[in-house]
Amino acid sequence: MESSLEFSSSLTSSTLPPPRTRIFKIIVIGDSGVGKTCLTYRFCAGKFPDKTEATIGVDFREKVIEIDGEKIKVQLWDTAGQERFRKSMVQHYYRNVHAVVFVYDVTSAASFRSLPAWIEECRQHALGHEVPRILVGNKCDLRHAAQVSTEVAQQFADAHSMPLFETSAKSPQGGSNDSDHVEAIFMTVAHKLKSQKPLMLSQPANTVTLRGRDQEEEEQRGSWGCGCWRS
Amino acid sequence: MNLKKSRNIRSSSSCLDGIGRQDGESKRKRKMAEITQALNATPVNVATLRRMAISEGGLITDEIRCKVWPRLLNVPVENIPEKLDEVNRENDKDYNQVLLDVQRSLRRFPPGMPDEQRMGLQEELIDIILRVLQNNPQLHYYQGYHDIVVTFLLVLGERLATALVEKLSTHHLRDFMDPTMDNTKHILNYLMPIIERVNPEVYECMQQAEVGTIFALSWLITWFGHVLSDFRHVVRLYDFFLACHPLMPIYFAAVIVLYREEEVLECECDMAMMHHLLSQIPQDLPYETLISRAGDLFVQFPPSELAKGVTQECTQQTAASTFTDFGLASAQQRPDTVLRHRRREQQQQQKNGNAVDPQRGTVAVFRPGARRLVRLAVMGITVALGAAALAVVNSALEWAPKLDLQFL
Repeated sequence: MESSLEFSSSLTSSTLPPPRTRIFKIIVIGDSGVGKTCLTYRFCAGKFPDKTEATIGVDFREKVIEIDGEKIKVQLWDTAGQERFRKSMVQHYYRNVHAVVFVYDVTSAASFRSLPAWIEECRQHALGHEVPRILVGNKCDLRHAAQVSTEVAQQFADAHSMPLFETSAKSPQGGSNDSDHVEAIFMTVAHKLKSQKPLMLSQPANTVTLRGRDQEEEEQRGSWGCGCWRS
Repeated sequence: MNLKKSRNIRSSSSCLDGIGRQDGESKRKRKMAEITQALNATPVNVATLRRMAISEGGLITDEIRCKVWPRLLNVPVENIPEKLDEVNRENDKDYNQVLLDVQRSLRRFPPGMPDEQRMGLQEELIDIILRVLQNNPQLHYYQGYHDIVVTFLLVLGERLATALVEKLSTHHLRDFMDPTMDNTKHILNYLMPIIERVNPEVYECMQQAEVGTIFALSWLITWFGHVLSDFRHVVRLYDFFLACHPLMPIYFAAVIVLYREEEVLECECDMAMMHHLLSQIPQDLPYETLISRAGDLFVQFPPSELAKGVTQECTQQTAASTFTDFGLASAQQRPDTVLRHRRREQQQQQKNGNAVDPQRGTVAVFRPGARRLVRLAVMGITVALGAAALAVVNSALEWAPKLDLQFL
């Protein structure tokens, strides 16, 4: 096998969506109030929501993007941050995810300290190493109140082989291309997935992954572009 | 029973809504008079109040709600202290989470409310929540609890709201406030069996999509306060739920799904698409019709019957299971104490090597045949009155035995 292949079992033609529309399923996790809803809303709707509320359970958002002429559905699962929801509620939504976005709030050291617990959470849900993960430090518009330095965050990201992005789902005053930046984060993930899963079927249910040599080599190399993208 | 979103339903509900203004006004006056009478009776006629809370239009005004809600929850208003306990926010384990959720709950306040007034209410909201949690260390805060408490605050004011929320938290909401959400998940497990019994096709479709039940989680644990934008609809539902069995919100959730039958059947058979469809609750639901149906379903498929199909890991420990099928008995029940008592009892019995009867505590007093007859009788009565609700209202404990005699 030269590349990563995924076979879907138990597929019937009636359950398949229109052929060849690939779906990338991404779960967004992190402490309560770090801005998961804002980030996902911003990406899918293209603007900062005027009021967001606590997410109860799991919310779903979706956007169709185009990469190299191919239309791809990016599905974002926005989860509740409170710990009690993780344990028994959210597990259903870890199934068959293609990528994980960890979010912390740069103005909350506590939300950064929780990251190992979130990583452990992923491990418990048996997400393999081939599932790309990224780390997003949100609320950079409040830089004066920052409690987590880029250096510390970068070290953590390196240690866990994740790229780090620092951003703000909310535009700082005067406007900038932050909106594009949030978009760029998810697009980076989508590009990564596209290159990683050339033969992925449209229906991600019950997938069996045969990992190819390329991928393993890449894993041994550590990560995919451990850099920090800053707004 | 056909719960199809058909023209019939639309026309019947528009017929209800379309009653001439005068007619509606006179009905309203009649209902208000009946409520006043029930409130002034000695002892207060709680059964009538329940019926009023469930039947068309609910309790009509917030002024009436202030008087009736305490009765529905059996909270003696005269015993509520004038002065509320001070709340210690320092070192409170829940304070940060509560603050975070309350600060973000702007949508729950009336749109035109001045910021200053809203911020004052938000402070009161935090205090109520922390006060109740501090008085009841066995209760655990969950995101969504604030959506329930804010409704009580807006209708009743801080003092009354504190007392009622405390009672509600140790009863109807008790299962949601466990250290884990296992019991909440268990209660969500009642949803699919209800749907299956009414419309196997919809059930099958949802099962195939593996949609799960989390789309209904916020409905259940906030009593729809989190998802309905019109406050009038929220309080109308609260009238209904306060008068009923704690599992009624699950029946109402099922009714909403069933009402959207066509959309569900047309939906792409995919978890994400189905979750998305179902979690977006339509804002123009025919609430009165749906309330009446939820009552019907409750009578037709009471929890004790559904429980047979529900994965039963912890029946013994849910507070909801300690309520009787046909409604909160007027005689005061205290699930919280019941639970503790039962746990002790169970431990004792385990020591003695005796098995525990899983049906205990629910209405299993009827013989199977008799039970069916009673149920039919109940259906007959409710159809005649135009609100299934009645059955849920008058606790079976009060009058079912009489029926039993009558029909056997």
